[in-house]
Amino acid sequence: MVYVKWVFWGLFWLIVVGFLHYSLPQRDIVRIVNTYEERQDVTGWTKMFWAASDQSQERLQSWDVQFIQAIAPDGDPMVYRNEDTGWGWPPYFKFDTANLYTDASDSTSTKDAPEWYAVTHYGWRNEFLSIFPNAVGIKRVAGPDVTLIPWFNIIVLTILAAFAWGIWARWRRFRKNKIDPKVDEWTDGWE
Amino acid sequence: MVAFLRLVVFGFLILTVIYVIVLVWSRATQRRKLAKDWTENGQPGDKETYIETGMAQYEQSLRRKLILLIYVVPVVVVGTIIYVTNFM
Repeated sequence: MVYVKWVFWGLFWLIVVGFLHYSLPQRDIVRIVNTYEERQDVTGWTKMFWAASDQSQERLQSWDVQFIQAIAPDGDPMVYRNEDTGWGWPPYFKFDTANLYTDASDSTSTKDAPEWYAVTHYGWRNEFLSIFPNAVGIKRVAGPDVTLIPWFNIIVLTILAAFAWGIWARWRRFRKNKIDPKVDEWTDGWE
Repeated sequence: MVAFLRLVVFGFLILTVIYVIVLVWSRATQRRKLAKDWTENGQPGDKETYIETGMAQYEQSLRRKLILLIYVVPVVVVGTIIYVTNFM
């Protein structure tokens, strides 16, 4: 029985951490090399990794998606998609896809004269599933070694932890005071 | 537009559920506190009257009104995110 409990809590935390890791913003420092647009087939369960931000799009199986190609300081390639999240999940309320596409196109640089940009994004890149993180914003930075402190994530995670702890503590007290005595009452003399 | 309405309607429903839970919890806490006060203050007068007077004061209090922040804060946060994401 103890293994069932471990598996349950293991899965629970995996889902919680995975969800937060997917949804919270991260910043990569990259050199932007190109932007392109390509028709994507968006079917099956991986559809949730694409932003179907309005109702007509939700019914579609394929649509044009903008991409931003970038190179990390260590030479690794990184490809971001560029899609509106609209009023949907995750709540970035991004409506400026076309503007971002323009900015990104204007920010390309070559290997010889690199310009470095911090790309704010959420989501995951996975080659097997063909999924891409969604770029939310770009900002010029001084160089590839700039340290960016994720203040937003620090604040969000702190607030989230405080809420979770507050509710958990109250639930535990409620269970101790109200539920446990009842259960004791009902199961009295069962042994 | 449909997505916006969906956010507003579901957001309002969820916030209302939270609002009601917090309101009920806050009232119960206040009532418990008043009952304790009554005992500690040497049981002045009728317990019910003491608690009801205290609850009437509580309903007018800033603490009670602050619960409305449950509606205000998310709207401000969403507005801020929209500004930061699209216009900064």
